[in-house]
Amino acid sequence: MDRDALEVVTGAEAVVTLRGHSVVKQRVPKDYRIAELDTKLRRERTRLEAKIQSDARRAGVPTPIIEAVNGFSITMERIDGPPVHSVMNEAVAEDVGAVLCALHSAGIVHGDPTTRNMIFSAGRVYLIDFGLSSYDRSLEARGVDVHVFFQTLEATDDRFPALKDAFLSGYARNCSGAALILEKVNEIKERGRYL
Amino acid sequence: MIVLGIEGTAWNLSASLVDDDEVLCEASSAYIPALGGIHPREAAQHVANNIAGVIRQVLSSTDPRLIEGVAFSQGPGLGPCLRIVGTAARALSLRLGVPLVGVNHCIAHIEVGRWKTNLVDPIVLYVSGANSQVLSYRHQRYRILGETLDIGIGNCLDKFARSAGLPHPGGPKVERLAQESRDYLPMPYVVKGMDFSFSGIVTAATEALKSASLEDICYSFQETAFSMLVEVSERALSQMDKSDLLLAGGVGANKRLQEMLSVMCAQRGARFFAPKSEYLQDNGAMIAYTGLLMLRHGIQTPIASSGANPSFRPDEVEVLWIETH
Repeated sequence: MDRDALEVVTGAEAVVTLRGHSVVKQRVPKDYRIAELDTKLRRERTRLEAKIQSDARRAGVPTPIIEAVNGFSITMERIDGPPVHSVMNEAVAEDVGAVLCALHSAGIVHGDPTTRNMIFSAGRVYLIDFGLSSYDRSLEARGVDVHVFFQTLEATDDRFPALKDAFLSGYARNCSGAALILEKVNEIKERGRYL
Repeated sequence: MIVLGIEGTAWNLSASLVDDDEVLCEASSAYIPALGGIHPREAAQHVANNIAGVIRQVLSSTDPRLIEGVAFSQGPGLGPCLRIVGTAARALSLRLGVPLVGVNHCIAHIEVGRWKTNLVDPIVLYVSGANSQVLSYRHQRYRILGETLDIGIGNCLDKFARSAGLPHPGGPKVERLAQESRDYLPMPYVVKGMDFSFSGIVTAATEALKSASLEDICYSFQETAFSMLVEVSERALSQMDKSDLLLAGGVGANKRLQEMLSVMCAQRGARFFAPKSEYLQDNGAMIAYTGLLMLRHGIQTPIASSGANPSFRPDEVEVLWIETH
């Protein structure tokens, strides 16, 4: 494919444009939200996303390099590869566990670690879309992250039980306190229940 | 096939007869607390006092020999209410000599919505007092893509309304007051993937009562909480690559929420559907109709496993009646 072509992907909250070796992510206005809330959310999320993504990269988590931040848009390095959900298997799930654990160890939670927000490139799992991420070292926040990942996996992949185990072994590989995470995830899942 | 259904999970006791095409009749008796919110014991007392009446009313509208099944709300809901409904349903099924079928209340909200809007495979936003979930059908289950991490949206509205001295149910009063304001006060906006949290809004809104006008608080409350629900619905449409959104549950009657969802769908080229409010709020027809679908696909509930299930999750139900191709 021509690397200079301008391609547009419309996600749930942003329009992503590919420009040569860069990706531009522009948060578009949402007509359903009142302007004050919409502008505030888009500005905050853009700014925070760029900052956290840089910090994650500095901590050794594979993420695209940030090139520029401008209002509601971020320009970043282009990572070539398929989204993780299309190459999912136990080895990949284990890598996702290791990457998410590295991120958590850096004091960051992703906020939306679905399989569509991960790219498989050059044998590595890259995390993208830090739009809902935050600085948070609590077990609670990490547990919600893992819970979100499990939910998207369970809803979209029939091999969920095996993939979940693989993820957990990857998560435990370099992390202390990983044993607590599953207990927390189960607690969070129960809490959402009608009682 | 004619099925009799009984709903009684919380506030609205309701019995109904449906066939494959339409609701034949329905009789309801709402529990209205004298003070404060829903009291589980009083709600159960209300069910006990009125259940014979509502059943008698629907039975009198037809020849009971035409009824081919008895469906009841098995959960989720308030245990004391569910137990009475279950007892009545078991007795009725034995008396009429027809199969019994226990229905998941959340699934019933979805099925009546699909029935009344003719949708096949939508993303569902289910919002009621105790529940707030985004669901999507896949491989014979409704999968829960996201849900509240603490309290349901209706519960959240009612809790705040009680602190503001508004009578139960608080939702419609908050909706009316919100129309009087255009001054937005920032409130906690908490979305994590497709999950969300409402408890922070209750605290912030209750605190704001000391310094801001009730109208401004109600307006800001709705705009914040509903934006969260619309955002996760949009994310679900995008993630699952679906183009229809169905609104279900009692809070779905809120006109501002409907407006926001419909604007979101229009902006992304999706279609938005909500059934009439009588099918958004708890109703007997939704239980009867879901029971009918289950019976048509060979699902019955033996007496031994017909006990109340107050924390019954929608993804525990095997859904055999949807054909997506």
